[in-house]
This record gives sequence, C-alpha cells and structure tokens, in this order.
Amino acid sequence: MRRKSAAYDAAHCFHCGEPNPARMHWRATMDDVQAVFCCAGCLAVAQTIGAAGLSSFYALRERDSVPRRDDGVGDAAASEAVAGPTRPELADDGMASVALLLDGIRCGACVWLIESFLQQQPGVLGATVNYATRRAQLRFDPNETTLSAVLAAASRIGYRAYPYDPRRRERMARRESRRLLLRTSLALLATMQVMMFAVPAYVSVDGVDREHAALLNLASLILSLPVMLYCAAPFFVNALRDLQRLRPGMDVPIALGIGAAFTSSAWATFTGTGAVYFDSVTMFIALVLAARLLELRVREKAGDALELIARDTLLMADRLDAHPGGKVCERVIAASVPIGSFVRIAAGAPVPVDGIVVEGRSSVEESILTGESWPHSKAVGDRVMAGSVNRDSPLTVEVTSTGSATMLAALSRLVERAANERPRLAKLSDRAATAFVVALIAIAAVGAGVWWFIDSSRVLPVVFAVLVVSCPCALSLATPAALAASAGALGRRQILCVRPDTIEALSRVTDVVLDKTGTLTTGDVRLTGVTSCGSMDADRCKSIAAALEAGASHPIARALADAARDGSVVARDVVAVPGCGVEGTLDGVRYRLGRPQWVGELCRAPVPMHEVAANEISIALGSESAWLAWLRFGDTLRPSAAALVASLRDMGLRVSMLSGDREATVRHVAAALGIDDWRASASPDDKRAYVGALQAQGAIVAIVGDGINDAAALARADLSIALGNAATLTQWTADAVVLGSDLARIAFALRAARQTFRVIRQNIGWAIGYNVIAIPLAACDLLSPLAAAVGMSVSSLVVVGNAWRLSRLGRSDDVTDRTNRARHVADSDLRTAVASIT
Amino acid sequence: MDILLLLIPLSVVLALLIGAGFWWAAMNGQFDDLEGPAHRILADDDRPH
Repeated sequence: MRRKSAAYDAAHCFHCGEPNPARMHWRATMDDVQAVFCCAGCLAVAQTIGAAGLSSFYALRERDSVPRRDDGVGDAAASEAVAGPTRPELADDGMASVALLLDGIRCGACVWLIESFLQQQPGVLGATVNYATRRAQLRFDPNETTLSAVLAAASRIGYRAYPYDPRRRERMARRESRRLLLRTSLALLATMQVMMFAVPAYVSVDGVDREHAALLNLASLILSLPVMLYCAAPFFVNALRDLQRLRPGMDVPIALGIGAAFTSSAWATFTGTGAVYFDSVTMFIALVLAARLLELRVREKAGDALELIARDTLLMADRLDAHPGGKVCERVIAASVPIGSFVRIAAGAPVPVDGIVVEGRSSVEESILTGESWPHSKAVGDRVMAGSVNRDSPLTVEVTSTGSATMLAALSRLVERAANERPRLAKLSDRAATAFVVALIAIAAVGAGVWWFIDSSRVLPVVFAVLVVSCPCALSLATPAALAASAGALGRRQILCVRPDTIEALSRVTDVVLDKTGTLTTGDVRLTGVTSCGSMDADRCKSIAAALEAGASHPIARALADAARDGSVVARDVVAVPGCGVEGTLDGVRYRLGRPQWVGELCRAPVPMHEVAANEISIALGSESAWLAWLRFGDTLRPSAAALVASLRDMGLRVSMLSGDREATVRHVAAALGIDDWRASASPDDKRAYVGALQAQGAIVAIVGDGINDAAALARADLSIALGNAATLTQWTADAVVLGSDLARIAFALRAARQTFRVIRQNIGWAIGYNVIAIPLAACDLLSPLAAAVGMSVSSLVVVGNAWRLSRLGRSDDVTDRTNRARHVADSDLRTAVASIT
Repeated sequence: MDILLLLIPLSVVLALLIGAGFWWAAMNGQFDDLEGPAHRILADDDRPH
C-alpha cells in the first residue's frame, strides 16, 4: 500500500484517477493535499468521505480501487423498491438486521470505508462487510433510521447496496461449504501425519522393528478413523444412494476402494500381518475432497456475480395514464405498478409484470421461464409473464400481478442453472472413470485368480497393488478441477460462463463473428471531432456548444456534456427551435448551434466547405459575425476493439464482422480494424444464415453481440458471448457474459479455454501412459504395494497440480504480457483508425 | 529408540488437538472471509480528524 499523497499528481482526479479536464475547477484540501477532481460527482464523494473523518481511505486503497461515482438520482428509490419485499428481521431487543449485497468493492480499503462510514450514521448499531462475498450484515435501530436512509448513505460514498434475502437454501449452502472446507482440511491434516508415520516403512532398508511398526500402524489407524468416519462420509452416503437408485456414479468405486483398503489395513494392524494403506486412503480422500471444494467455490462465485447482475438490471415499467388512447405517463419500478393499471412494453424490452395483452400483437420469448427458445405469438387476451421478452412490436398489457417475486424467481433460475449443472465433459469423465474402475476390479479379479494358482500367498499384495497403483485421478479429479479452475480464472476477469459447457465450446472455436454496433463500437453518440473554421479555437467552440445545449437531454446534448466537462460557461436566453437547433447568448454575443442553413441565416455567410465521414453526422456552430466550427458526432470504436481483432488473428482464428448498419459505415470500421470479411445491412435472418453458412463449411462459430437483432444468430452459433452492458435479451440466451467493456477479455477467454483443454489432454495422456505401464507391473507382482501407493500418489499430484496451474491464468506474467503487447500494438492501430475516421 | 513409544502417541494427540481446534475455527466462521480482516487491521487507525 502506498500513500496517495506522495504519489498524487494534479493531472489526475484525486478520487477516481481519471485524467482531469484542462481547466480544473473542482478543488479541495484533502489531508493537507491540494486535491483536484475531474467532476463535481467525485468532489462530492471525496468531501463526504473527508467530512466523515475517513480520508485515510485514499492512503490505504490499492491502485485501481475506485468507488463508483455517485449516480445520485434514482438509486435510493431503486434500493427502496428492492427493499420492499425484503423487510428487515427484527431481533428480540427491537433492533433490525438485514443482509446487504454490495456493488463497487474493489479492495480492503473499501471494506474499511463502508464499515466506518455506515457505523457513523445515526441509528446504525453495526455494519460488517465480508470482503470475500461482497456482502454486509447491517444492524440498526428502526426507531431512529430507516433502511433506505442507510442505503442512501452508502450511495453517497459511491457504493450501491441492495438488501438481500439470505434464503434458507443459501444458509444451508454456506453450512455445506463450511463443512466441506472442514472435511478437506482435516483430511489433509491427517494425510500429512499419516504420511509421516508411513515414511519409516518407505525409507528403511531392513524394515522397521515389529514393535515400532505396530505402534506406527496403530497411530495411523487412529488418525485415519476420523477421516473415514467424518471426512469420507459423503462418499459413503452418496454411494449408498446411487446403489439404491441403481445408477452407480463416481462415489461408488471411491467408497468401495477406500472402504476395502481401510478395512484390510485395520485388519492388518490388529493381526500384525499384511500391508497397511492408511497413507493412500487418507491422501485419496483429501485430494478428492479438495477438488470438490475447489469446484464448489468456483460455482459460488459465478452465482454471486450473476445475482449481482440480476439486482442491477431492475425492471422498469412504462405506465399508461389511461386505456385505450392513453400515453405513457411515468416510468416506474415494475414492483410498484398498481394491479389493474396498463403498461406499454416496447419491442425488445423485457416484460416487467405478469398481465394480459389488451392491445398489439407480438411474439414473446419465454426461454428464461420455460427453457424453450422458440417465441410464442401473443395477441389481445393472451397472458404474458414477467421475465419473458417482447420481441417484435409494442404491446399494451393490463397488469395482473407485480412484485419482484416473479422476476427474481426467473433470474434465480439462471443463477441456479449456472451453479448446479455439471459440464458435459465432467459427466463424461465421471462415466469414463466409473468404467475404468469397473475394468480395474475385473483386472484385479483376474490377477487374483491367476496368482491363486501360481502362489496363493501373493494374491492379497497383488490385488491391492493393482487397486492402489491405478490412478483414475486424471479423469475423476483433474478434469473437473481443470474446468473449475479455468472458470474461476475467467470469473476473475469478469467473464461469466452461464452454461456448463461454455469452456469446452470456447476451446474449439475456429471463427469469431463480431457485431459492430454496441460491440466493436460503444453504441452511444459521442463527439468525435471539432473543426474550427474561424479564428476561435476548437476547445472554446466546444464549451460554447455545450453551454447552449446545457439544458437539453437528447443524445447530442449528452455527448457534448460528456466532452466538455468545463461547466463554467453559461449561456442565457437559450431558445430551442425544433428541427433547427438552439440559439442563445454568451457574453453578449448571439450563437446558433444546429442545421447549417439555419445557422447560416444568423451568420449571413454561405455555408463553408467541410467533409463528413459516412458514419457521422455534423452540426454547425456560428455567431452573429462568423462561422465558428463544425461539430461531428458518431459512434466511436471501443479502445480495445483493435486489440481484440489483432489477438484473435494471432490465435489463428478467422474474424468477420456483421452489422445491420449502412455499408459505408461498416466499411470504415472494418478498414480501421483490419477486418476483411464483413457484411453490411444484414438483417437478423442474414446474420443467422451467415453463421449457418460458416458452420456448413465445418467452422465452429463464436458470435459476440449485444443487440436484439443478434438473438437469432446467437442462438444459431456454437457459442455466443454477450457484453455485460448489452441488451437483456442476449444475456439470457448467451453462453458467456463478459462484464464491462474491455473486449480484450474475449480473447483472454478463448486463450484460457484452449489452455484448459491442453492441460486436460496432457493429464489424460499422462494417466493413460502411467496406468498402461503400472497396472501390468502390479498384476505381475513386480510392484510392491508400497511402490504402488507412492506411484499413485505422485501420479495424482502431477495431474491435480497440472490442473491447478490453470487457476493462475491471467495472473501469470506471460499472459498479461502478451495482452499488453497486443494492446500496445492495438493502440497505435487505433490512432490510425481514428485518424482515418475523423 | 524407546522414546518413539512416547513421541508417536504424542504426535497423534497433537494432531487430534489441531484437528479439534480447526473444527472450532471452521464452524465459527473464521474461514468465511480470508481477505477482509487482513486489510481491516491495517486500516483501523483512530487518529482524530
């Protein structure tokens, strides 16, 4: 950790670290440092933190840790709406306690800040934040404060908190997770100690003293007993259940193996004859439990992230004032719409409430609710359900039931689906492992039969050597562990695998189809350039334009407000002329911003020459005396787009781009990114057909998209990836969701998946080679049970260790390095690209 | 080598004690959040402002 004050430079915002605008207006003294801020929002958050005496947060936080800027409007209301169904629990002493799900925590300092700040709020008795799960437990006095007041306080320092109902199921899941951790750790502890007791037998040349050996065996037995009775209990329970259902799974051979080995070892200990395998038994149990713990943790994390998305995408409803003939009178949170009122559902929007269609005809996709991806056609009188998606045209619906219950039920299905399904490959390897164990028992039986005739005293050692030396770990342990580890690595990079087979599909991709709008480009209107055509410099022109549009809220005004953060210039007498533009006075000079002809009437000069690229629109700025500037607006490329295309190429993937946009626009973007294969003006059907054509050539197609228009193509592709800020629909049909806007993550995901399958192949190769050599040796009595146990243990460590490497993906330098290099290359490409567009 | 007759049982008792201690810790939620407390102890300064 470093002190922010030492490293602070005035060029960057004290709070969020973004570059400050050229004119720095937001200043404050924080901790004896003259701090400069990029915007009023950051200043407000920092002042709130400072006023609470918590400014050492800035010294404690890690580099990239930035609380979200306060979005202000709506947050408290939204939190309150979610809070509706989740009433705080009242304790016996009259104090309320509630669980919160927190968004925006990035390092330990955030935890400290939230706890300290919330505890300062009146009426709050305690706030404890769990850094690992991003959850908080809040206790407060309901007579002194309300939940929404506390939530509003959290949002003032830049964190969003959602009340969260720790359902019974979840409490049980936590207890289960604790138990599994305990089982694994106890088994590992016992393994260590039992191994130590086993070492004398491995290393001594003339054998251990009889009396000492008996003592060591007894000690091993005492330590293995709790492992067998407690740690391994789930194997026996599951095996029993499997046998009752006549569907033997992986737990049956495990239970058989450890049960038999333990019983015979215990027998050998008491009778003083025969070999003991306590070390192999405990180690095997510990390793299997460790793999299961790892898998569970990864699934929990994926579930949490999805839950957060679910909370973040609050459903809003457009309420109509009357029906028929009503118009949209307010946009409200779906849960608060009165039953019996009417709501309008736009095309492509999720249905916010349960209701009956009273106007319009459309098709509605209910895949989230029914799992069926084919849309149902809905007309007047049909019922629609909250959580389904209206696809074609607007509908008016009479509300029959509301509440987050319906929607949350639907979303929790998604979360559960991701958390509970086992990947096809893991199932396959389970089946293979079971077959392997059955074959193994057969080999052991045959070996026993053969040795019975050769030398009956060797039967037991041979059977155990065969059973112990074989190692199905590569199948039963390493494959699930590899899949779980790489899912974890992807999760850390904000890539969520929604379906269980996503990683396998990712590793096989040969073609990547990119959507343009909203994927390669940001999808918002941005100010892309200012060309001054008079004496005034471009920055000044931008400020004037922003001042003229300051009161408006249309996309261009927002783009101007984003571009010119300098709010010091104020225009007066602003008049908006519909269809033409705005007119206003600054420092006694009249300005017009808008259509060239209309601006020209004020300037009394002919429209000067200018060029506009195909993917842009331009508006003019002029004063009474002269033309001032052209302001160009367009959809900008994401900074990481070129990096993505470059690294996909590096990986030997074919890249193509589809867009419903005009040809000229698409050609520009394609040229800027170096994509040769592109289609413009593509309808949803065209996109689907294009993907189908690629598949017909044998390609495995991954499609990256966002818009509603992509849904059909996404469903057709072998793998669909949606950006986290994309339209809701595609998130629900996608196989993977990439949160945030860093496209480089997509390349990372593909690379990580390939690495995963390389590791799985290595493991299976190793396991086959090892078993092919070791099992015949053991069956021929060329391998002592001791050597067999060591061989098996080393073999399992090799495969599990190899799988574990995957969890370090994305942390290891070489991956980051390559990404950085790609980004560097891409930056220069981007500059060329921007130059060619503007 | 008679000392082994003492040391081996002792190691078993120790391992069982450690196991029991671990049981208590896990069931009391000591392992629920492994990162937060490490930061919290560093952050907890009470200097006046």
